[in-house]
Amino acid sequence: MSETGSPPRAFPRDSLASRLIQAVAGLADRPMAWIQRAVGGRGMAYVFLAPNILFFGLFVFLPIGINMAMSLTGGTNLFLSERPFIGGDHYRSLMQCGSYLDPASCREDHFWKGVSNTLKFTIVQMVAMVGTALVTALVLNRKIRGRGFFRAVYFFPVLLSPVVVALIWKWILQRDGLLNGAITLAGGEKILFFVEPGWAMFWAVFVSVWAHMGFYTLILLAGLQAIPADLYEAAEMDGTKPMRVLTRITLPLLWPNLVVVLVLVLIKAVQTFDEVFVLTGGGPGTATLMVVQYIYETAFANQVQNFGLAAAASMMLGTLLFALTMLQLWIARRKAA
Amino acid sequence: MAGLVLTGIGKSFGPVEVLRGIDLDVADGEFVVFVGPSGCGKSTLLRVIAGLEEVTSGTIRIDGQDVTTERAAERGLAMVFQSYALYPHMSVYRNIAFALENMRLPREEIEARVRRAATMLRLTEYLDRKPGALSGGQRQRVAIGRAVVRDPKIFLFDEPLSNLDAELRVATRKELASLHAEIGGTMIYVTHDQVEAMTLANRIVVLNKGRIEQVGTPLELYNRPANLFVAGFIGSPRMNFIRGQVGAGGKLVTPDGKVSLPLPPGTVATGEVTLGIRPEHVAPCSAAEADARIAVELVEQLGSESYLYGTLADGTALTLRSPLEDPARRGEDVPVRFDPARLHLFDAAGLAIRP
Repeated sequence: MSETGSPPRAFPRDSLASRLIQAVAGLADRPMAWIQRAVGGRGMAYVFLAPNILFFGLFVFLPIGINMAMSLTGGTNLFLSERPFIGGDHYRSLMQCGSYLDPASCREDHFWKGVSNTLKFTIVQMVAMVGTALVTALVLNRKIRGRGFFRAVYFFPVLLSPVVVALIWKWILQRDGLLNGAITLAGGEKILFFVEPGWAMFWAVFVSVWAHMGFYTLILLAGLQAIPADLYEAAEMDGTKPMRVLTRITLPLLWPNLVVVLVLVLIKAVQTFDEVFVLTGGGPGTATLMVVQYIYETAFANQVQNFGLAAAASMMLGTLLFALTMLQLWIARRKAA
Repeated sequence: MAGLVLTGIGKSFGPVEVLRGIDLDVADGEFVVFVGPSGCGKSTLLRVIAGLEEVTSGTIRIDGQDVTTERAAERGLAMVFQSYALYPHMSVYRNIAFALENMRLPREEIEARVRRAATMLRLTEYLDRKPGALSGGQRQRVAIGRAVVRDPKIFLFDEPLSNLDAELRVATRKELASLHAEIGGTMIYVTHDQVEAMTLANRIVVLNKGRIEQVGTPLELYNRPANLFVAGFIGSPRMNFIRGQVGAGGKLVTPDGKVSLPLPPGTVATGEVTLGIRPEHVAPCSAAEADARIAVELVEQLGSESYLYGTLADGTALTLRSPLEDPARRGEDVPVRFDPARLHLFDAAGLAIRP
């Protein structure tokens, strides 16, 4: 900042810093000019895109390719070159089932238990998440006292790491945790939340909803605020009852945002791993084992590390997620149009 | 249809007083226009009548019944919003039928009423369209149809033409006037456009800073403004004002003594006054007949008439309308005559002094 009162300037034109920047930038001038001469003006776009494409390819496309190759090979070796090609054997063994409705009849019963749990978790969580987020958004959209405070409070859990969220709730729900403390204080009997399968799944869903609801509430709140206030005034003049305002005006106008939220919740629920894994470890037994946990354990945690089988399972999950993402993009584009 | 009586209406938003002591009687079937500059409280007054805002003080009676604490839906009024407030996801038919469905009317009656309104407003061929597929004027007609179909006690219009272009505004203004003639309902209309007010109203209510300045027919306001505000607000271009003292010989003399002008015949005044004269009542004349001379600074030629903008010898701005195509040039010194029958005089407090 200048002491003489002249307007502040980041780098005065003749300052040392300015000359240094020019010198450094000048270093790139000549090579860039050569490249431009070589590839032409239009080609420069690809030159600038290249670094990102390189990194994206290295860390996304290459692993997908390796994973695909891995799923077609057997053995326990980590390096592809040392693994024998076995074709679709892993896929066949994953799909080998007496009845798809009974995981115990499948060769890879844990995979199908994971699929079944993930399906249950996804359905219940979607309904609970969207329902809670919608009600919260509707309440936070009203002119209530301390609205800003509550908006922040409901969003706060989104900022926490999933592991932190799970640990907090583990302390609350464990045998001698806060909740059981409160129950015994009120004269009740301790409940072993992580021992009873029903309770474990309930808390897995509850914690997940608690942790992520703020994000979806935010999307829905933005949608609600985009509905012009005079539509509600017109409805009031028209003598519309509150429930009819909700069903005939608010929900139809919020529908595009609701669909986006539904699909995002669906994708996230299918991917669920860390929170539930830290909270319940997939237990009791396999009561809260999710597909992603099965993949993780098959590849890295079991005594025999079956990379090929895990890769095949993750390819199947990946295909499903790809389809869901395409659905989400299609909906988003339709909304934009 | 019904009449409306407002008594001592006051409305505050926190410490800000938006409406103060509003008393007004609107007769059954009357077309009343609230007009005033931005922030004068005209829209708030309309919303108070509608029941979309609660009053801080005063009472509202519709058809003799006190509705001050009743909810908007219970007052039996219909409102046309500035933004039209059409439900974007519903067809034109559903938009118009929505209030009737709320009233749980039989399906056949709803259909009959919607079709009747659509025919009257030339909307029949658009009934299946969504509002997004309509032009501004068509949307406006749907908004009016939504109000008409309910057969309300009073129609409320909140600046309904302000989103239309100039040509469409004139056309829709005419349609509104004929709609009022046709259905004969009580209508209260808010605008900041004094041409809309003058052309549509049976009576105009001029509002300023939350108070009523004057209520009267368009010509009463034009010919006999109660104060400087109304005199300046009604009429375009606005009335010329020349401030001065009443001097010897009963003439107005400007503070620097350079201009001396006649007062309206029959008025008795002393001290500080303001003389008002509309541009259409000042005319160029021969030097012998002149009341004053203006130095022309700008000439606007509109074809059928011209406006001269200039200053008197003391520097007071003066505008005059001339029927001539080319009455003067910039920089010319033009002698002008004031029509004595059209002079207005206001005291130091800005109130009209009548003969």
